[in-house]
Amino acid sequence: MTFEQALELRSELGADATVINGGTDVVVAMNHGAIKPTCFLDLSRIKAIRKIDRENGHLILGAGATFAQLGKLHVRALREASLSVGGPAIRNMGTIGGNIATASPAGDGCVALLALGADVQLASKDRGQRWMPLVDYFIDYRKTALADDELIQAVRIPNNPRSRWYKIGKRGAVNISLVCCAVSQNEDKKTKLAFGCVGPIPKITPKASALLNGETLSPGLIDDVANLVAQEVSPIDDQRGSAVYRRAMCSTLTRRLLTQLMEDAPKGDADA
Amino acid sequence: MPEPTPMEIPTIQVACTVNGEAFTRDVPVDMPLLEFLRDVLGLTGTKGACLEGECGSCTVLVDGETINSCLMLAAQANNRNITTIEGLASGAELDVIQDSFVATGAAQCGYCTPGLIMSARALLNDRPDISETELLTALEGNICRCTGYASIIEAVKRAHRESQSS
Repeated sequence: MTFEQALELRSELGADATVINGGTDVVVAMNHGAIKPTCFLDLSRIKAIRKIDRENGHLILGAGATFAQLGKLHVRALREASLSVGGPAIRNMGTIGGNIATASPAGDGCVALLALGADVQLASKDRGQRWMPLVDYFIDYRKTALADDELIQAVRIPNNPRSRWYKIGKRGAVNISLVCCAVSQNEDKKTKLAFGCVGPIPKITPKASALLNGETLSPGLIDDVANLVAQEVSPIDDQRGSAVYRRAMCSTLTRRLLTQLMEDAPKGDADA
Repeated sequence: MPEPTPMEIPTIQVACTVNGEAFTRDVPVDMPLLEFLRDVLGLTGTKGACLEGECGSCTVLVDGETINSCLMLAAQANNRNITTIEGLASGAELDVIQDSFVATGAAQCGYCTPGLIMSARALLNDRPDISETELLTALEGNICRCTGYASIIEAVKRAHRESQSS
C-alpha cells in the first residue's frame, strides 16, 4: 500500500477505521478492553513514511519512523527522548507519528519535538497537505487538530540545534514519565522549553521561553526562568506523583538542562 | 486478550513464515500476534503476561528485529518472517544462548526466559562485538520477577564469548 492509497481509505472510512502503525498504543487499549475496533487502517508497511530526510537545514521525519530510528539521530533531545521510550522491542515498533496521534501528555517524543520547534505535516485526499506548528496541533487532553480524513505524514525539525532532555520516572527502562523536560537553543540563541506530564497536553512555557529569547544564558537568568516555569505549568496529583512534586521538578529540570546548555556553549557545542 | 464480543469480527488471511515454515491462516483482524502464535499455531513457548509491552515475555523476532507480540496484530505479520523460541534449537542441539542459560542456571520460574533469550538472540545476531552497556540496554525491556538478573546477564555474556570463539 502507498501513502496515497492510505489517504483514500482514510477519506472513505474516516473514524470507522482505527489507524494503526506500531500498535504500542492501539493494541494496549484493545488488550485493556478500552476499544474494540473491527476495522484497521495499517500504515506499518508504507516505506515512504518511514524515511528520515535532510532538507534545507531541516530533518524531515516520516511519521512512520520508529523510536529505534530516532534513537540514532544527532539531535540530542530527540535521540535521548526516543531511547527513553519503552525497551528495544517497543522502540522497534512505536513511531513518532503514533506518539503525536496519541497525544498523551506523557508523550516523550512530543515533548522533545515541541522544544525543538517542530512542525507537523497533516495530509488528506481531498485537501492535500498542510504544515502546522506542533504546538498548535495539541488542543486538549487527547484532542488534536487531526481531522477524521487526515493522516500524519511527517514532522520537520531544525537539523542542528543544541538541545537537552531529561525524564524523571520510577525506574531506568520501560519508564513512563512522571515529569519530562526538553530544551533547545538555535544559532540565534532562541531557546525553547517543553514539558510532559504537567497538564492535559505536552506543553511549552511561552513566558519562560520569552524571558530567554536571544539572551545569553547566565545563572541569574536561569533562576528567573526556572521560577517562572513553575507558575506556567499545571500538573495534577496522580498515582505516579503529586502536583507539588511535579511543579518543583519542572524548576529543577529547567535549571539543570539550561545550565548544561550554558556550560557547554563556549566549547562551540557540536553534539547537537 | 480482547474478550469475545457479540460483534462480528471480520477475518483476514495471513501468510507468514514462522521458524522457517510457511503458514497461511484466516484470523480475526483484531487478533494479536501472540494469540496467533500460541492458540492458532500452538507455539506456546512465547509467553504473555502484561499485554502492554512492559514485561517482554512475549518477545519474538519479526524480520530479525525484536517486537512485543502482544502489541502486534497477526494481520500485520502477513508476508513477514517470524522467529520464536521454538525456532532456535536444531533438533536436540540448543542455541548457544539456550545452552548458556542452562549452564549458568539463569532461570528460576522460567516465565521470562523465552523473551529474554529472543532479545539476546537479536543482540548477538546484530553485533559481533558488544559492550556491557549495549548488553544491558538490549535486555532492558525484559522483566524477571524472580529477579535473577545476575545469572541472566552472565548467561548472555557467556553466549557472546562462546559465539565469538566458535
